[in-house]
Amino acid sequence: MGKTIETQVLVIGGGATGTGIARDLALRGVKVALIDKSDLNAGASGANHGLLHSGARYVSSDAEAAMECRSEGLLLKQIAPHCIEETGGLFVAVPGDDEAYIADFPRMCEASGIPCRPLDLKDAMGMEPCLSQDLIAAFEVSDAAIDPFKLSIENLNDALGRGGEYYDHSCLEEFILEHDKIAGARVLNTKTRETFLIKADIYVSATGAWAGRVASCAGVNIPMVYSKGSLLVTGQRMATRVINRLRQASDGDILVPGGVVSIIGTTSVRTDSLDKIFPSVDEVDLIINQGKQMIPALGNRRYIRAYCGVRPLVSAGGDGDRSLSRGFSLLDHAGDGVDNFITITSGKLTTYRLMAEKTSDMVCEKLGISSACMTRDLALPQTAGGKWTEPGVSLRQGAFSHKKEDHTLCECEMVPASAIDSIVSSIRKNSGKPDLLSIALRSRLGKGPCQGSSCSVRVLSHLYDRGEMTGTEGVDGLRRFLNERWKGEHALLWGTSLAQSSLKEMIHCGLFSLELESGE
Amino acid sequence: MTDLNSIDCDLLVIGAGFAGMVAAARASHLGLRTVLAGNSGSLIFVSGLMDYLGVYPMDAKGVLDDPAQGLACLQSENSTHPYGGISHEQIIQCFEFVKWILGKEGLAYHLSPGRNLPVLTAMGTFKPSFMVPRTMEKGSLLFGEKKRLLLIDIKGLQGFSARQAAGGLAKTLDEVICLTVEIPGITKTIPPIILAELFEDPGVQESFVRQVLPFSNRVDIAGMPAVCGVHDSLGIQQKIEKMTGLDLFEIPGIPPSIPGLRLKNAFEKRLAALGVKFLSNTRIKDPVFNGGKFIFTGVTDSGKLSISAKGAVLGIGRFFSKGLNAGRDKIMETLFQLDVRQPVTRSLWHGTNFLTRQGHKINQAGIETDQRFRPLKKGGQPVFPGLYAVGSILAHNDWMRLKSGSGVSLVSACTAVDDFYQGVTKAKI
Ligand SMILES: Cc1cc2nc3c(=O)[nH]c(=O)nc-3n(C[C@H](O)[C@H](O)[C@H](O)COP(=O)(O)OP(=O)(O)OC[C@H]3O[C@@H](n4cnc5c(N)ncnc54)[C@H](O)[C@@H]3O)c2cc1C
Ligand SMILES: Cc1cc2nc3c(=O)[nH]c(=O)nc-3n(C[C@H](O)[C@H](O)[C@H](O)COP(=O)(O)OP(=O)(O)OC[C@H]3O[C@@H](n4cnc5c(N)ncnc54)[C@H](O)[C@@H]3O)c2cc1C
Repeated sequence: MGKTIETQVLVIGGGATGTGIARDLALRGVKVALIDKSDLNAGASGANHGLLHSGARYVSSDAEAAMECRSEGLLLKQIAPHCIEETGGLFVAVPGDDEAYIADFPRMCEASGIPCRPLDLKDAMGMEPCLSQDLIAAFEVSDAAIDPFKLSIENLNDALGRGGEYYDHSCLEEFILEHDKIAGARVLNTKTRETFLIKADIYVSATGAWAGRVASCAGVNIPMVYSKGSLLVTGQRMATRVINRLRQASDGDILVPGGVVSIIGTTSVRTDSLDKIFPSVDEVDLIINQGKQMIPALGNRRYIRAYCGVRPLVSAGGDGDRSLSRGFSLLDHAGDGVDNFITITSGKLTTYRLMAEKTSDMVCEKLGISSACMTRDLALPQTAGGKWTEPGVSLRQGAFSHKKEDHTLCECEMVPASAIDSIVSSIRKNSGKPDLLSIALRSRLGKGPCQGSSCSVRVLSHLYDRGEMTGTEGVDGLRRFLNERWKGEHALLWGTSLAQSSLKEMIHCGLFSLELESGE
Repeated sequence: MTDLNSIDCDLLVIGAGFAGMVAAARASHLGLRTVLAGNSGSLIFVSGLMDYLGVYPMDAKGVLDDPAQGLACLQSENSTHPYGGISHEQIIQCFEFVKWILGKEGLAYHLSPGRNLPVLTAMGTFKPSFMVPRTMEKGSLLFGEKKRLLLIDIKGLQGFSARQAAGGLAKTLDEVICLTVEIPGITKTIPPIILAELFEDPGVQESFVRQVLPFSNRVDIAGMPAVCGVHDSLGIQQKIEKMTGLDLFEIPGIPPSIPGLRLKNAFEKRLAALGVKFLSNTRIKDPVFNGGKFIFTGVTDSGKLSISAKGAVLGIGRFFSKGLNAGRDKIMETLFQLDVRQPVTRSLWHGTNFLTRQGHKINQAGIETDQRFRPLKKGGQPVFPGLYAVGSILAHNDWMRLKSGSGVSLVSACTAVDDFYQGVTKAKI
């Protein structure tokens, strides 16, 4: 048994919610440690649409969630503008869509206090030329795009600056229960395989879809169902605004801009597995075939990547998964016989701050601390570590000055060596070990059209030159990187993407023979 | 369109990749009036190694020491692999032919008939290959022998780090020293091609030698990225060997590849000497087969021309070279719309693990031919009497896994051309 870490609150799960809680508590002067079994945003927070909901999507199915989205969306635009692009959004319908729903939409929006402006169809098509010529209805709402990676990194950085601690690749394995309390958490470092102990007064599980598993470590049962959703990234940005299909939530009905790309999704597929999931060919085709009804160009677009996430739904009956409430579940397990254990799950990225506030309120109440939440008023600071997550950001902002010796390591996404160096040093600061995957998580590395064929090799040799890597760490990391990226590629391989990917295979298998010596 | 420029020939080779180059060389060597059309730029991607068969079967543990063993196994299984109907001796003859052709232009290759060579790559892995540039030969002797090795990288050359190439070697060798050499005047990134050209400058060679010399007593052999000159790479290497007193070898890495560029140059020169008409940057379109002859349209940036030929060799490559094109539901061959052998749905194209040793089913897709490399119709008959398919477009050959890329290309190219030649000469008699 290794070291023991003592803290007031242990937060398990480094997604939007966990990092949000870490910051909220740190702001209230509470000592907090955050762990994630892999790394920041490894769960749904790294696998969503990046839509900062105006609320309009939920006006029919869940008015309460709609109103939460509306007010939190407005607030986040104030406190975290650097993580948000205020794109605005449209809701559009095409022939065949439910006319009654369309007719009712403005009234439902009004009922939830969500501003919604009917548009002349010509105007709508003028605003977004990619739209189908056959629109039958269009409305304008105040949707926006949010960069979930930047958001979590900034929340974490602020928490770290206020005395918080973060341990990546640290998986909660076991709770040590004593009487009606958790006395300690046994945590496994999945890289070094060392175990350590974290002792806290309060334990918060912000583990999203994994909440049921974590709760079971404390002998608590949370009945959950899982719904997988897949998303596709287009090679170029297709629209200025968010475009929603004006109908009951369904497949392939939202297009969200993300910097220089767009993201179309999603699907809803029941799943039992949380870890070995990837977008399937069938989902990809479903999204494209549905999406092209409102945006015809989606039918012949180049897609550079697909990814998927799991929506954790605390089960409550109902017919489809989308009809289950997406409002959040905050559970005080005192009622289950574990006094100092709290679970926060479900909900939305859009409402992460509210979820963090409510959770932190509960934590403080248990700790007997009376300080109030400050995240409503205090802007989220902007730090360097949060840059480089938005696609192509370097082209527009020149966030890192190009020094004379600063060469570009990733040509598709224009990532210079200095950006890699600064990411590496921020990983080191958190006592992590940099490898291609952890760098890719914090940058656009490997996310451009070349799919990481050569930039992976350039970055590796750069890391070797800097002494950041030794021995065979590089090849081992490259294998992991290629296999991980592959999850989001293989269902999208036709046309030009297939050609690019075949070059990658020619280099990495045809020449380097990486498949031969792999340990797996 | 009667006023098109027109050319008549015995054989049109379509596609100027490695397979097309070999086919054109073979055809003109046999005395056929040969036209080659395509873009030889694709050679800049190839590593310069020429594999025969490095792994068989695909899920075998380890690699083949002797490719002939793998071939025997492949043939005993009645495999549909392009090597299915070809003997080891024939295969060696094809390799020797290519070696001879390239040797004529001073690009020296090395092969040892009964054995694959483990070639150290920039990634620090060993790749089993068969016929390797002489400039890489000594690197394959590292295995098994206890040696002291100097690995050299060059400041400004991206994607190659000596420390990375050395990665796994520390365990097997007595000593591995890494050295970064600076080329005078190079402070920033330097493209490999410019660097290789610089290496032809005696001043640069001397500066390189000066930096390596202090290590010459501590090591026996030195490896460096494959940038040691574009022309006469072996000559430059031997000169540096003399000056340093060290054995030297080159290490292949990511494209753009200088060994590939050397191949392109050597082939182009040899084909010109052999009298092949090379329509570079010409895309072939709209094939018509009429009265025992093919008529094609060649399209360039500046215009069109008409090419008539008794036979055609299709060496247009796969997806990257646009010889095959995949829609969302189907794989097509892009020139003749030949049948493409392929999995029934896209969900079968790729597995969920990129680096699987079994390979992906789509890599087996391609054109099915008879043992003379004539594409077949549904019924099993050749599509056209004088049409051949060669190189990576052939079905049943995941060359990236089997380590058989250039081998299948050169064997299919030589065999196809020989067959066509026999047909033509028989007809004349
Ligand atoms: C397909 C899809 C699209 C979506 N689109 C949107 C959208 O457009 N807008 C929006 O507002 N919301 C969207 N959502 C919802 C939103 O993404 C999630 O509600 C939100 O990201 C949840 O964040 P979280 O931090 O609670 O959970 P997660 O982000 O899932 O974080 C849980 C973390 O816990 C970690 N963990 C798990 N087990 C352990 C353990 N034993 N030890 C340590 N760590 C552990 C995981 O590694 C993970 O990082 C979408 C969701 C999906 C699935
Ligand atoms: C990254 C990489 C690494 C490699 N490593 C190795 C290795 O280690 N060992 C080894 O043995 N081999 C290696 N190879 C070589 C590989 O085996 C060769 O690519 C293959 O053997 C030869 O392919 P080909 O000539 O059939 O097709 P290609 O090389 O793809 O050439 C096809 C050509 O046809 C042209 N073309 C397509 N359509 C038309 C048309 N309509 N009209 C005119 N021209 C057309 C294309 O432009 C292209 O130039 C490597 C290749 C690559 C790319």
